[in-house]
Amino acid sequence: MTDEPKPQPTNPAVAPAKPVAAVPAALAKPISRADFLWTGWAMLAAFFGASAAATARFMFPNVIYEPSQKFNAGPAKGYDIGVSTKWLSEQRVWIIRNEKGIYALWARCTHLGCTPNWWGDQNRFKCPCHGSNYTIEGDVIAGPAPRPLWRAKVEISTKGDLIIDKAVLEDIPGKRENAPYFLTLA
Amino acid sequence: MSYRNLFYLLNFGLLASFGVSYVLDFKTEWRGYQNQYFAMAADSLEKDGKHAEAEKMRHQWPEIKQIINKDLDRIDRCTTCHVGMDEYSNPTMKNDFTKNPFKAHPNVAEINGKHPFQKYGCTVCHQGQGMATTVAGAHGRVRNWEQPLLEGQMIQGACARCHDNFEHLKGAEVAAKGKHLFYEHGCQGCHSVRGVGGVISVDLKDIADKPLERIAGYNFSRVKYKGNLLSQDDWTRAHWIMGHLENDPMQVTPNDPMAKFNAEPIAPSGMPNWTEEDATGKREITEEDAEAITTWLMSMSPETKIPREYYVSGPAASEPKLAGAAHGKFVFEKYGCAGCHGLHGSKGRRNFNAKGAGQEMETAKQDEWGDMDKGREPTLVDVVGTYTHEELVKKISNGVKSVDIVKFNPSGPTPPLYMPTWKDKISPAELDDLAAYLMSIAKKQDVGF
Amino acid sequence: MPKLPTLEELKKEVIDSQIWRSVFRGGVWKDTPRDRSAHIIGNVWLHLHPVRVRKRALEWTYTWGLGGISFALFMILTVTGVLLMFYYRPTIDLAYRDIKDLEYAITLGKLMRNMHRWAAQAMVVGVIAHMVSVFLRGAYKKPREFNWSIGVLLLTLTLFLSFTGYLLPWDQLAIWAVTVGTNMAGATPLLGNEGPMGNLVGAHINNDVRFVLLGGTMVGENTLLRFYVMHCVAVPLVVGILLILHFWRIRKDSFSAAPYEPNEDKVEVWPHLVKREYIAAAACLLVMFIWSIWMNAPLEVIANPNVTPNPSKAPWYFVGLQELLVYFDPWIAGVVMPGLIIVGLMAIPYIDTNPKGVGYYAWSERKFANTGFMLGVTMWFVLIAIGYWFRGPNFFWYWPWESWLMIKAAPPLTWNVFGPNATWRLWCTPNLSAFPLWLGIPLVGGAGLASLVLPKLIQKELDGIKANLGVLGGLALIAVIMKLSPLHVSLVKGAWLIVFGWMHFYFGFLLPQRHIRALDWARYLVTMALVLSTTAVLLKMCARLAFDIKYVITIPALSMNI
Repeated sequence: MTDEPKPQPTNPAVAPAKPVAAVPAALAKPISRADFLWTGWAMLAAFFGASAAATARFMFPNVIYEPSQKFNAGPAKGYDIGVSTKWLSEQRVWIIRNEKGIYALWARCTHLGCTPNWWGDQNRFKCPCHGSNYTIEGDVIAGPAPRPLWRAKVEISTKGDLIIDKAVLEDIPGKRENAPYFLTLA
Repeated sequence: MSYRNLFYLLNFGLLASFGVSYVLDFKTEWRGYQNQYFAMAADSLEKDGKHAEAEKMRHQWPEIKQIINKDLDRIDRCTTCHVGMDEYSNPTMKNDFTKNPFKAHPNVAEINGKHPFQKYGCTVCHQGQGMATTVAGAHGRVRNWEQPLLEGQMIQGACARCHDNFEHLKGAEVAAKGKHLFYEHGCQGCHSVRGVGGVISVDLKDIADKPLERIAGYNFSRVKYKGNLLSQDDWTRAHWIMGHLENDPMQVTPNDPMAKFNAEPIAPSGMPNWTEEDATGKREITEEDAEAITTWLMSMSPETKIPREYYVSGPAASEPKLAGAAHGKFVFEKYGCAGCHGLHGSKGRRNFNAKGAGQEMETAKQDEWGDMDKGREPTLVDVVGTYTHEELVKKISNGVKSVDIVKFNPSGPTPPLYMPTWKDKISPAELDDLAAYLMSIAKKQDVGF
Repeated sequence: MPKLPTLEELKKEVIDSQIWRSVFRGGVWKDTPRDRSAHIIGNVWLHLHPVRVRKRALEWTYTWGLGGISFALFMILTVTGVLLMFYYRPTIDLAYRDIKDLEYAITLGKLMRNMHRWAAQAMVVGVIAHMVSVFLRGAYKKPREFNWSIGVLLLTLTLFLSFTGYLLPWDQLAIWAVTVGTNMAGATPLLGNEGPMGNLVGAHINNDVRFVLLGGTMVGENTLLRFYVMHCVAVPLVVGILLILHFWRIRKDSFSAAPYEPNEDKVEVWPHLVKREYIAAAACLLVMFIWSIWMNAPLEVIANPNVTPNPSKAPWYFVGLQELLVYFDPWIAGVVMPGLIIVGLMAIPYIDTNPKGVGYYAWSERKFANTGFMLGVTMWFVLIAIGYWFRGPNFFWYWPWESWLMIKAAPPLTWNVFGPNATWRLWCTPNLSAFPLWLGIPLVGGAGLASLVLPKLIQKELDGIKANLGVLGGLALIAVIMKLSPLHVSLVKGAWLIVFGWMHFYFGFLLPQRHIRALDWARYLVTMALVLSTTAVLLKMCARLAFDIKYVITIPALSMNI
């Protein structure tokens, strides 16, 4: 005890934490082998952790080469009452006109992403993968699909063409019957 | 069995099965055809006294021959079997053989002159699977290839893919006739083609590429051709198109008019029954006509990769200078009015469950078929006389919504056909002349004063 | 003229040459035990074997050589796969064309493709059979627990290899199987954009786990490349590492789990085991040859992202999962269930404390373990059979003798039991629920908790006959009441209820109550969780088939449906 330097009159909260800075006596108690290895292992672990995280990030592409989700579906007056499959092959969208106006359904089953078929003879969409059935409105009437078909944003250009944007989607009844997911036509 | 014997047996089995698979791989159809061709060609050279050349021909080693069409990204190995059409094996590209696959291409000087085989390949016109080296595979008669060989005159459809002027082209007469018939009978009233036409039914812009998956098997299973149901090998797009002209579409696509599967009844296909015979026992569209229309429609394939230089543009669209009722008649044909109202407005076509002329019964009960299938579109020559010129113009302009059509059976399906709204499509001048034309064909009303 | 050497002399000359001796060490082969041992020890390929092995472990009927056969198939797959890589280019413009080339223009290309395809199918069967046989012989018990877990991982990777390989031909079969498979990943809770609570943590179509798998938002060029790399490089590498570990452990754990007998015979591995391995491998290869000559690998129309084949089915070993997808939301059938199966299988050696039945078939000593495991395996294959043979266009139920050209009436409307928009009315219309959530969550949660702990809490063993009869009688009574009630539930549906309800009771309550109530709580709970999730599948199937129930509980705000 006698060898120990006298504690300096400092803030008691700080004092015990600063023995190294206070006196060179810290050298008398060098970093132990165990402590040193601990730090080393911790650094290695951190390196592996960071590398794993960076590898995971690496797997997320920052640029992808996919076609635009927007397309011009031609003049709005070119659609008559019923389901039009005109754009199904190219854009995977059904354009549907009813008494009030036009909406566009994205032809992707909300269950697991297959393309349902329009069965005009049964007035419903049927998915070939797990048997989900939808009404012309997009509501599920049978099968495992958890939610209605998505409706895409529909706008009308100054030329009178339909502009459909599959990146903006809505399927909640009440919201989907309003703009921009429904285009009211006179 | 001892392990030693098993050891012998298995090793023998391995060698033998390797041998079998190698032999099977080697004994392909095309090697046989090529050897046969070399022998035949050598014989005819021998006859001409060209002994050395004959020997060379006879001892050729068979190989897969192919034409790479870079422009269209197609690889055609057809000449592997059709050696007589290979420029390198048969430089003259002519021979005396009469049977396929040995015979030379007919009319070769002209066709090879205009479309050099080495540049264009074969499938660009003939379709089929160019990569394949088996007979069934190459002719596209396999389940995983949806463009089988265009047979007979159907090949003319391929001309129309690039040649917009095909109507004036020698050798494309059938396709030209098909196009003419299509417009004459008013198909464009309901079907749009290359962006022009009605919207009542399917857009035919890519009918020649329609995925067979979309024509579900159960639809094909009702298509008859020449009186027989098609075998599954013949479930092709051409037969699907023809099936609509050679059958009553109401039978091909019956849908659900009695609401057996659905809450609401759904009318069968609204397409007219082209097999219906008139008083003289003639069909409006004969079997030959049906084939011509199909031939033309087989050109409806939006190939996006066709390079510009392949296209041959057609004559600029021009309308004849006509006036009055004569112009009205032209307008009537231009917009496909005949599709529903019959040639020259002479007979309204079937409109399922519409109330009108032709029905003997007054009405039907809920679950009764009755005369639903006898419903008809208005026969213009009969009804136009009850309108004034202005009323007619208004009627055509506004159209009739399908929900406004009076139903024969009130609880039956909504009729499939309706009068579209024409005011956006037909110009006022045209409309005026059309009405004039219609008034001119109307039967004089015997008002009985 | 010098005298020609005889064959024997020539052979001696060659073997004694410096080249031969440097390559193949050891002296003249005298077939002594020492020679035989040296053959195993001195050879890098053979030294994963022990030198001597117990005679009874060599009986064919003991293992049926299933592990070895699976490895032989893996080798066939490696060789044919590397050969196929020489001609295959993983881009969407070229992939399908290259497969056509293999089929039509490359010498033995078709054979190689067929063999690769069929060997892959056979390997899936082989690995599953291997697992079942190891389980039934109790060969996963101490000290082999960890090796069993590695084996489960290898099984999973075998299926994953199969799945990634499925995309490469780029035909309709390929992209739709992969679209469905990767969308299941998109339904992962939290990590997937369509999964429960995914929207709470900001999962979008372009940042979730599905996006990583696909390398984009749809199956496309990136996906093909990713699957190609996984199929050809990444996964085989992992499989190879795990295989070495698996084999090394087998050798360290004295090769066979068969119980020791006094004065047991041991025989040399060379030639006794090695010859058996050779025979099995050669037989495998021969079968693959014959199969590949006889049948061609399937190839459909080129991939079209806008047209789904009807019906669209997964590869057969996943059809069971696909069938589950009819009854459950994707996050349950596609993520939770497969996860539970894998984790549950890996956990088996750690929860099965029964010391009996190590290394031999023991039905009576391991009743619960065998029944539970075989119930799971049977259900897996029954579901596969249903999905494969009983599902037609639109995934409707078609009996095998019914033509797929026949149109089926639309399925009945479904309803939810608990959820928002409650109507307080049984049998309500779609998108509505019969009862509200505040009732459903405690009720369903309570029922689940009760069935989890009840078997252990009841200390006295129940009388099996009485309990079974009681439950069967009760269910029959309910069926009759439902028939007589204004709802007029048909007796066929009543029969569904009796069968599935009883199965749930028997496997999920009676058996555990009888056999595992003595387990410590931790092991007991894990076991019960696995057993109950198996029988819950039966209950949900019953709810759908007999009562058209879509979800028992639905919480749309969280995309959580059960």
